[in-house]
Amino acid sequence: MIKRLLGLDNRKEKYKYAHDPVLGHTSAKRVSERWVKTTCGYCSVGCGMEIGVRAGKAVAVRGWDSHPVSLGKLCPKGLSEHHTLTAENRAAYPLRKRNGKFERMGWNEALTEMAGRVREVQAKYGAGAFGVISTGQLLTEEFYTLGKLVQLGFGTSNYDGNTTLCMASAVSGYKRSFGSDGPPAAYDDFRAADVILLIGANLADNHPILCQHLEANREAYKIVADPRVTKTAMLGDLHLPLAPRTDIALLNGIARVLLEEDLIDRAYIEKHTEGFEELRGFLLREWPLERAAAITGLSCDAIAHVARVYGRARAGLIAWTMGVNHSTQGAETVNAICNLSLMTGKLGRPGASAFSITGQCNAMGTREAGFASSMPGYRKFENAAHREELAALWGVDVERLPAKRGLAYPDIIEAAAEGKIKALWIIATNPVVSFPNKPQLEKALSNLEFLVVQDGFHPTPTTELADLVLPAAVWGEKEGTYTNSERRVGKANKAVEPRGEARSDFDIFLGLAQALGCRHELFPGWTEPKHAFEEWKRVSRGRLCDYSGMTYEAIEENGGLQWPFPEGKADTSPSRLYEDGKFEYEDGKARLFAIDWQPFPDQPTANFPLVLNTGRTVEHWHTRTKTSQVAILERMSPNAWLEMNPADAGPLGLRAHDRVDIASKRGTVRGVELRVTQIIAPGQVFMPFHFFETNVNEVTHDAFDPISREPNYKQCAVRVARTTQGRI
Amino acid sequence: MPLELPLLDQPSRHGFSLRVSAPLTDTPDLLPGREPREGEQYRFHFNMAKCIGCKCCVVACNEQNGNPAELNWRRVGELEGGVFPETQRWHMSTGCNHCVEPSCMIGCPVEAYSKDPKTGIVDHNPDICIGCQYCTWNCSYGVPQYNPERGVVGKCDMCHTRLEDGMAPACVNACPEEAIAIEIVNVRAWRQYHAAGDAPGLPSSFDSLSTTRVTLPSGLDRMDEGLARVDRGRVHPQHPHFSLIALLVMIQLAVGVLGTLWAMSVAGAALKPWAALIPIAIAGAALAVAPLHLGRPALAHRALKNWRRSWLSREVLALSVFAETAAVYAAALAVHLPWAAEAGAVALVFGLIGVMCSARIYMVVARPAWNLPFTFSDFYLTCAVLGPRLVLAAGLGHGAWLIGFAIAASVLQVSNTVARLVAMWRSPVEELHGAAELQRGKLRRVLIARFCCVALAIALVPVNPIAAFLFSLMSETLGRYLFFAGVVPKSVASTFLTPKEAA
Repeated sequence: MIKRLLGLDNRKEKYKYAHDPVLGHTSAKRVSERWVKTTCGYCSVGCGMEIGVRAGKAVAVRGWDSHPVSLGKLCPKGLSEHHTLTAENRAAYPLRKRNGKFERMGWNEALTEMAGRVREVQAKYGAGAFGVISTGQLLTEEFYTLGKLVQLGFGTSNYDGNTTLCMASAVSGYKRSFGSDGPPAAYDDFRAADVILLIGANLADNHPILCQHLEANREAYKIVADPRVTKTAMLGDLHLPLAPRTDIALLNGIARVLLEEDLIDRAYIEKHTEGFEELRGFLLREWPLERAAAITGLSCDAIAHVARVYGRARAGLIAWTMGVNHSTQGAETVNAICNLSLMTGKLGRPGASAFSITGQCNAMGTREAGFASSMPGYRKFENAAHREELAALWGVDVERLPAKRGLAYPDIIEAAAEGKIKALWIIATNPVVSFPNKPQLEKALSNLEFLVVQDGFHPTPTTELADLVLPAAVWGEKEGTYTNSERRVGKANKAVEPRGEARSDFDIFLGLAQALGCRHELFPGWTEPKHAFEEWKRVSRGRLCDYSGMTYEAIEENGGLQWPFPEGKADTSPSRLYEDGKFEYEDGKARLFAIDWQPFPDQPTANFPLVLNTGRTVEHWHTRTKTSQVAILERMSPNAWLEMNPADAGPLGLRAHDRVDIASKRGTVRGVELRVTQIIAPGQVFMPFHFFETNVNEVTHDAFDPISREPNYKQCAVRVARTTQGRI
Repeated sequence: MPLELPLLDQPSRHGFSLRVSAPLTDTPDLLPGREPREGEQYRFHFNMAKCIGCKCCVVACNEQNGNPAELNWRRVGELEGGVFPETQRWHMSTGCNHCVEPSCMIGCPVEAYSKDPKTGIVDHNPDICIGCQYCTWNCSYGVPQYNPERGVVGKCDMCHTRLEDGMAPACVNACPEEAIAIEIVNVRAWRQYHAAGDAPGLPSSFDSLSTTRVTLPSGLDRMDEGLARVDRGRVHPQHPHFSLIALLVMIQLAVGVLGTLWAMSVAGAALKPWAALIPIAIAGAALAVAPLHLGRPALAHRALKNWRRSWLSREVLALSVFAETAAVYAAALAVHLPWAAEAGAVALVFGLIGVMCSARIYMVVARPAWNLPFTFSDFYLTCAVLGPRLVLAAGLGHGAWLIGFAIAASVLQVSNTVARLVAMWRSPVEELHGAAELQRGKLRRVLIARFCCVALAIALVPVNPIAAFLFSLMSETLGRYLFFAGVVPKSVASTFLTPKEAA
């Protein structure tokens, strides 16, 4: 210490460099003994990466050079992902809350207690009084195991994932348009398209590694429809600054021009779709171009221009993310997008698709193999043949399979608020930060008799409320598969041991099955994820998401394999769904829908005059459970902000860096740093949702899509004023 | 918007041709593929049109160099202009500019910097560095950054060891958009015409002949004033450097006292034989305090090394000689040697040279609020404000002319302060106006306190010389605090949010 103060020691050892055979000259901290290939655990792009391990610790990550998705690149979160493994707030031991304080307990005791308490609640209030909210962060093997455990072991179908806060509209939209969930595109389509229309998708912040595919295509004409001048809007040849939540009007306007100018593919429509005449009549009757222009705030010329460019393109790609999904009309907006693809025959060809870019690293996995919004393998609850097939595969009585979906996420919360759900199991998600209208959520959670939270991190705002915390292993500490947006199944591998006594979610599920006494029946002989994978391969065989030709080895060798990958398939080039125009409806035809536009429900008033839009920033992931622990990410994005146009800030007497309060009918979020900027339109404000310290979900609207049950996060009416919080 | 599309007359399922996707391994050259020849050097190329603001380069750089989050040798800033929806929004990624005339290197007192003759890479050696941080004031781009954990600065070295191995620097390697590249520049040609080094959000490439070439998105002008950095208006007080405040105030006090005593003796006043011990004691204390500013105080002696180029070395040299000659003067005075007055004159000259060197240290292009003639007058006036007052307070001298001189010096010092503020406030230079805003805003209390102290120091001179001296000491200390804290350094564009400081 004295040597340091005098300056005789300049911490040379700590800052020295060394030569790593793989990385080359680099900080000696990063020199690794071995490299473990894996897939990134943040978003659904599905980047390939390698974790460098030395002395049992993850010390570095690097992009997987030849990986077909990421081409050796990683985003700032990926580049620092190994730091999440050594985060201070990792959950290390099972904890029980007693007199308001957490105390450590053993695993056996914890699992027995959980099984016992849940059984107790179910005995008292019925099996359905136990609800489960999971995530898109687990491995497919874990989702598959969890689905069986919940539906057959616990016997409740009130099970849903936070994917409903994220992807549900795409799922429902695809099901309605194509007869099944499953994004039909490949990332290669970004390179092969000659027109790309991004709707409500801010790739540069949210899926930055996809931008290299987008940018590699120098010839395509790129159109970005977004109410904000996002980083992505700057990548476009044309930015359409449409009014919030007016995508349907835009899409109908485009469709109208396509019809009028005969830019449609009649042969394709005839052969592969149902419902064209109704759609045509509806568009001609209800959607003069002027109406679309008036609603979107765009000119007729702009909409017609986009329609012509798209209609005349050889290969037009429409891609979207949360700007479309986070809406009470999310599923219908997806249908309106699919309408355009189907009407013009721009589907199932290189560069031609309707592409939902997913959110979480394995949101797709839970859609395919989970047992929440559909049965494993995209089997439908309502379809008796599907139930029988699955029951036979599992060797269980078909009566044990539910004939309809249980409660969706927001309905589980509502049921809890009403006292119908009495015990809740939350897995790898943080609803206290992520669910809309936080005051209502808090009421629901406080009504529970038993809350168990299973997470890799503790404390989080949600684990704090738990009666029981089950510590889980996270990305880098366990093995299995993730499916990315282009249906590519990637391998995630274990690089290091879990923290403390944390166990993989897979092991926790098996342990619970043991405690419930159903392990042998449901998971006979299972000890490792591969056992689940092998069964899942059998269960998915012949389905759209067919895994039967995959092996862990082949997945890893190829940097992931896209499903369908039936037994015997060898071709690993980019694959697309519906190449033959055969869809998943009984008659093989896709459906066209006449979609009318509705304004978003929480319209501005004199009292709440501004429209609040929400979103993300590239440095953070979801509720920051992980990224707040990575110093460099926190450094670059330490707090939330509110974007406001000078035209709105001026009259309010507000200046950049002032702290403001944002109030809606539901609540107030206080002390947010104001950014006065021209990237947002007058009358609108924008705030990122990552920050629990200033949680935008205090004010967001808990209105849900009647079809997908997805929340309308993106628009609500608010008022902004200088903060009343103590001076900062 | 012009359309350049291979449009078909009619859309058709039939007869469309599949476009072949670009091969996945297709990467343009991000490295020059050869070593620089005579008269050439490496440089960064940044393509603003390609950058999506993902900040991969920042994370990759920190990982590569094992740096704590608070140090970012590569940074990304944001620029914005226009009116919605015709908004322009771009990002600027910068590392070190590996300048032709590196101001960090020129100013470094210990020669910790070197510019590689072959590659032109400006490298910094943390083993030589003593942590004086002078380079952090000299660089217009804020490139060298002080690491308190190590007591030394550090900076981007273009990953030169990787380049030697034929590997791309970490930032180049990490960028998913291939927006950063290494290329070769002909130094002479660049000296003559370096406009491609200028861009909105970047201090002038003229400051130190930065070599980074910036490609702007089409339609953007290099001098586009409509495109502003989004961190504009986010100014914070800088580190006040307390030990430097002490050094400057004490040295100027010592020079002032010595000058006053010498002037009195020349004018025929009888000096106490020990009088000159006072400035020596003060100068000695100042020189003892000064190394506390260093990250590595034990290596302070190294600071003399670069006296040929560095004003910091020269200051150390001049002040040391001042202390020594002042000691000779004191001795001569004590034993009543006949050439005492001449010795005093020599000491005074070195003292004044030392004060000049001090001022020159701060007169750097990268800190416009320091780089004003007011810095000279400020420092010399501090000598004049404090010297006579201490002489009066210590009872070493008296008389109306001494009192009058002290008051006049204070009045001039206030005028100097006000003139500096007004000049900065009126300046179109963002950093100057910003500094005035800072001093009138966040540092307002310090400014007011300073004026109050000056007023008291003026009013009390005739009645209570000790109090007058203490208030003047306080006023000059606050003045120096404002000097250090109230500066807005030149810098590259940053992001809107204030980067999180160390926990």
